[in-house]
Amino acid sequence: MKRTMYFPATILLALACCMWSCKKDYGNLNSPTAEQFLNNASKSELNNLVSGTESGMRNNAALYLDDVGTIGREGYRFSGSEPRYVTDLLGANSGTLSSSNFYITTPWASHYRVIKNCNILIQSAANATTITDAEKKGYSGFAKTIKAYQLLLNLNLTDSNGIRIDVNDPDHLGPIVGYDAALTTIALLLDSAKTDLTGAAVSFPLAGFGSFSDAAGLVQFNRSLAARVAVYRQQWASALTYLNDSFFSLNGDFNTGVNHVFGTGSGDQLNPAFIPLNQAGEIRVAHPSYATDITPGDDRINKAPLRNATASLNGLSSNRDVWVYTSSTAPMPIIRNEELILIYAEAKIALNSFPDAIVALNVIRTKHNLPAYAGAVTQNALTTEMLNQRRYSLFYEGHRWVDMRRYNRLGELPIDRPGDDVWTMFPLPVTEN
Amino acid sequence: MKNLKPFYLGLWCLLLMPLLLFSQGRTVTGNITDINGRPIAGATVSLKQLNQLTTSDASGRFTLSIPAGATSIMISSTGFKSKTVSVDAGAASVTVQLEEDVARLDEVVVTGLATSVKRKNLANAVASISAQQLTGVAPGQTLDGVLSGKIPGALINANSGAPGGGSSVKLRGVTSVYGNTQPLYVIDGVFIDNTATSGGLNAVTGAASGGAPTSNQDNPSSRISDIRPEDIENIEILKGASAASIYGSKASAGVIIITTQRGRQGKTSITVSQDLGQIRVRKLLGVRQFTAARAASLSSDSATSVALAKQFTDAQAAGHIYDYEKEVYGNKGFARNTVLSMSGGSDKTTFFFSAATKKEDGIVKNTGYKNTAFRLNVDHRLSDRIKIGVSTNYINSSADRGISGNDNSGVSLGIALASTPSFAQLHPDNQGNYPNNPFAASNPLQTIALMRNNESVNRFIGGANIEAVLQKSLQSTTKFVGRGGVDFYNLQTNVQFPGILQFQAVNKGTSIQGFTKNLSTNYIFSLVNSYTPSSALALTTSAGITQETGDYNNLLNVATQVIAGQSNVDQAGALTATQFRSKYQNNGIFAQEEATLLEGITLTAGVRFDRSSNNGNVAHYYAYPKAGVSWNLTQLGFGKNTFFNNFKLRAAYGEATNVPAYGSKFTSAVVSNIAGNPGSLINTQQGDPAIQPERQKELETGLDFSILKGRLGFELTYYYKKIDNFLMLSNLPASSGFSTKWLNAGDLRNQGVELGMNAKPIQTRNVTWNSSVNFWLNRSKVTRFIIPPIPQGSFGYVLGSFQVEQGKSATQIVGLNGAGVGVLGDAEPKFQMSTYNDITFFNKLSLRFLLHWKHGGDNINLTSLQNDFGGTSVDYDNVTNKQGLPDGVYRITQVGVNAEQFVKDAGYLRLREIGLYYSITKLPVSFIRGIRVGVSLNNYLTITKYKSYDPEVSNFGTGFSTGVDVDPYPATKRADFHISVDF
Repeated sequence: MKRTMYFPATILLALACCMWSCKKDYGNLNSPTAEQFLNNASKSELNNLVSGTESGMRNNAALYLDDVGTIGREGYRFSGSEPRYVTDLLGANSGTLSSSNFYITTPWASHYRVIKNCNILIQSAANATTITDAEKKGYSGFAKTIKAYQLLLNLNLTDSNGIRIDVNDPDHLGPIVGYDAALTTIALLLDSAKTDLTGAAVSFPLAGFGSFSDAAGLVQFNRSLAARVAVYRQQWASALTYLNDSFFSLNGDFNTGVNHVFGTGSGDQLNPAFIPLNQAGEIRVAHPSYATDITPGDDRINKAPLRNATASLNGLSSNRDVWVYTSSTAPMPIIRNEELILIYAEAKIALNSFPDAIVALNVIRTKHNLPAYAGAVTQNALTTEMLNQRRYSLFYEGHRWVDMRRYNRLGELPIDRPGDDVWTMFPLPVTEN
Repeated sequence: MKNLKPFYLGLWCLLLMPLLLFSQGRTVTGNITDINGRPIAGATVSLKQLNQLTTSDASGRFTLSIPAGATSIMISSTGFKSKTVSVDAGAASVTVQLEEDVARLDEVVVTGLATSVKRKNLANAVASISAQQLTGVAPGQTLDGVLSGKIPGALINANSGAPGGGSSVKLRGVTSVYGNTQPLYVIDGVFIDNTATSGGLNAVTGAASGGAPTSNQDNPSSRISDIRPEDIENIEILKGASAASIYGSKASAGVIIITTQRGRQGKTSITVSQDLGQIRVRKLLGVRQFTAARAASLSSDSATSVALAKQFTDAQAAGHIYDYEKEVYGNKGFARNTVLSMSGGSDKTTFFFSAATKKEDGIVKNTGYKNTAFRLNVDHRLSDRIKIGVSTNYINSSADRGISGNDNSGVSLGIALASTPSFAQLHPDNQGNYPNNPFAASNPLQTIALMRNNESVNRFIGGANIEAVLQKSLQSTTKFVGRGGVDFYNLQTNVQFPGILQFQAVNKGTSIQGFTKNLSTNYIFSLVNSYTPSSALALTTSAGITQETGDYNNLLNVATQVIAGQSNVDQAGALTATQFRSKYQNNGIFAQEEATLLEGITLTAGVRFDRSSNNGNVAHYYAYPKAGVSWNLTQLGFGKNTFFNNFKLRAAYGEATNVPAYGSKFTSAVVSNIAGNPGSLINTQQGDPAIQPERQKELETGLDFSILKGRLGFELTYYYKKIDNFLMLSNLPASSGFSTKWLNAGDLRNQGVELGMNAKPIQTRNVTWNSSVNFWLNRSKVTRFIIPPIPQGSFGYVLGSFQVEQGKSATQIVGLNGAGVGVLGDAEPKFQMSTYNDITFFNKLSLRFLLHWKHGGDNINLTSLQNDFGGTSVDYDNVTNKQGLPDGVYRITQVGVNAEQFVKDAGYLRLREIGLYYSITKLPVSFIRGIRVGVSLNNYLTITKYKSYDPEVSNFGTGFSTGVDVDPYPATKRADFHISVDF
């Protein structure tokens, strides 16, 4: 009898004593942590960061294209469930762009998330003891190049509202930097990346870089971006220099370049900008002016084929789909030769080397089934022609709005409804203030 | 922790005390009735200060062995005043009449982990719900659904009308912003897991951007809804830290203690009951009446307008104008519920067994809910000193929830309906092929017919408790009380979108299968000593240890490009798998002392120490003190025989916390692959290695009294609850690479009053009327907030958003007000009231009803906005605005200028439950002891100004931001017929 009574109490006390010693810490059961990478990462861990970076660049890429494409009047994103594509972005009802809405906060955050990944990659590579110095330079050159590209995309959205450059320490962020200073920093970052990549050993796999996956190829990619930044900065001569070190080829394939690639593998993504033809409800249609402004015969009309039925929403309508991304695994260009040819033309126009410019413009025109340029040979006329070719060649690749803004021509973009506006820039996300 | 050593020393001393044994005496039999002579079943008969007890059988009779020296026995039963009866040495039988306890002063309320006190000595306002109130009026589908309106101090909100439940229960205001706001549920001592597991609908709806397969907008059910309400004997609600702090680190949102039915000694009684019912939509919004001109105005393109007008006139000529809202939501669901229960046992062993099955169809075709459950509760008296009890419960439930709520792909029913005019042709052809809906991304009729969103659960809950008397003397009793149990479930979520669905053009068929396994365990071991040195002083000392563990593992597979007709995830061209695991262990140590002086003053003090593997510092024990005092003036002899029958003052203080969410201390990297290369991408949430629990301190004070011979009882309570260092998933500047970080961001407080009245306005031989009225309100205020206010948990200022801000109510809703950003409303109701009434005629016919009034409290109503955008709102063409535009057009012009039209008063007056029951006790056949028949209605009458399906709604589930209304599964009402037979 007595034994039964003591039994539970003994258990109780034994457990109480045991409890002091057996504290539990389960760690993170679901994924690696930033601390793990920073603490002497292995090569395969660093390669995971590289692939995560390349993969992460695709997050919300379609939203970025819709932001730039809608304000640049390239197309409309009709959505039965998200009215703000056709209200806020087009400035309907004398509303304004909000600093707390998804169209700025989401792409902005996605780009900085990739930048964070790049910063962790740079730091982890520096801390790693099992890789060579040349390999370290490979990682940091790649990371810096991608960082510069992501900063540029955000600057394209916020323009003279600026971006934040120094973001390495989340608890002590640097200041918001204005447009010109930000572009300068981006250019310097690309230069620094190029220095790292020169003579670096690239021991990581890349997916969308094709033949530019080695150190020499990454330098070419880096210089292509540098050329884009140079024309943004109106440093025309530099742009031409950078083109020489890039994969620019006046007579080469327009589509040579670096892409976001998509796949159906586990943890991979499908091209979010792909919407099949003739859908209802969730659709992306070309701005009506795309077809009305196009030169007859231009094969680029195929980027906006006719729909079975006109789509309408909220006082807007279009009978053509955007058809740039034609399958769920179609690649999305980061930068490609067609843009470089047009950058070449742009720099030549600015430097008054009109014959060179016309040669380049004619390369574009001829390949798109148009006759050679026959317009006036003035800087203004050629600029208009160059911008027009950019409009059609780079349709829905995220350029039109930025280009028109660079040349102060936003006023030329069409207004579809009374009260609509063409925004110059997005406000900084509310969390940045 | 060294300071606890003397305490353990004390425990040993208690154990070593000499044990006292008793000799057996004689047997007493008795008969227990109410004042009208009706037998009272299940009354507890005990010997004062001793451990012997028994319960009365169905006819009110009992038999009890008592020792030679004993002279009195105590009789108690829920709802009646306890009575002590003297049994003279010669008497062998007694007849006892119990008086009804309107103010429920003698109800025993659990106040510690192993101890309880009578309500008349209670220092807190502890709400309790009886089985009658829970399921005896108009039973609902799930447990979470039947709590509404029954807990003073609570804001209970159904997330949607989808079958299978899912409700937010907030006790005494918001207790956390991004932490857990939902109370802890404890059933027979077992801590119940209430995790809402998403089925991965976000992979299809894209309701939350970012590409994750799950989001808080996936509308999963609550796991508490698995529990069958019919098995419940009683529910007690510890609303705040002052009562709940003995539960330590899991108690800051309150504790709901559920006791299930136990067996009764005596002849085995069998009850079979059957409910049959019909479920209908509570309200439809109506659809726009089109004309050719209105059809034309859907497009701004002239050619399209002409085509639309023709489409309308053609449809009209052919008689093909449809009310799709009614077709989708207007179905009638059949509901059945069968329960078999058995109870009985000997004086050593009693058991309660129930088997139940229910099947209910939803108002949308192919939706519905099924639940089959078994329960076996056994109590056994091993010896005079040792008592063990076992509770087991197996549940199999299945909910087909359909697809509703917010989405960004145009696939949810409401979103698709919003842009589908009545002249669209969506019906299948003779071969059963559905046409594409030219007005939306999906054809809702096709979606309903072909999709599936099922949650099915197999769950076992088992608990055991042991009470052993270690030492007993006339003045002191020491018991060991051990309680513990396991809650294990497998949850399978199965979401199927076949490739022929209109919106599956890209994915060509999606199959999302989730497998979740959860094991929670907990135990409490304690020693309880009751020491009564004199009749003027009684001391109850308890101390013990606790442990809770959880192990959750969720595997979610999203397959796309699925082979036609197949659902297995390997029968697909693409497969993405995600897995989430979490694991925790919490340990606690507690001690509590309760002293009752002169049976009128009760002092309670206790402390609990808790640590958790989820805290930043896993070794640190956090302390949670509590103290309470109640002063019953009547018991002390003040004012006896005056106006007051009972008068009590009380005050209580306690602290409790919420353990941080699992993983909040890590900065993790998620998997993000590309072209077969495995990639790591840093998460958007920055970890905090030093994360601490948020602490709640609550002071509660009140006054209880009853008058008119106890026929009218009042309970008045005021509470002041402060949450220090509340956790915010604060929005970081996104340029840091992180969007969010856990941060102890400020302080907030809730204060409120709860007034309760219990009355028996009529008590005659033929008619009795019991009534209770409750009134409660809560006000919150953010007293300190260290980060800039930013919109939270909705869709931004343009559409109205929650925003935590210093000096403002925690649940304020802000948005554009025409002149900038301003406060537009508050989710907190101004007050709530409910009244429960039970009127019985001739002991046979009972009318019971529950009326619930929520005054104020705003929702963010975006359902109407969606309909305006789609040009289908019923009032689209009315002209009531000053600009002379059609209202639908006018409202759209206000988007981006003014969000006031979305933030709407969601107050209501609702006849939640009404039931009429008739019992027949005198039957020609002897094997049937009684038959009860009844009819009941739920939600049949609602008076509200709110313009959407229902004022009770939450697109974002159970978290902080309830009340966002985006095309939910519409709320339902139900009518039931009940019959139950006792054998």
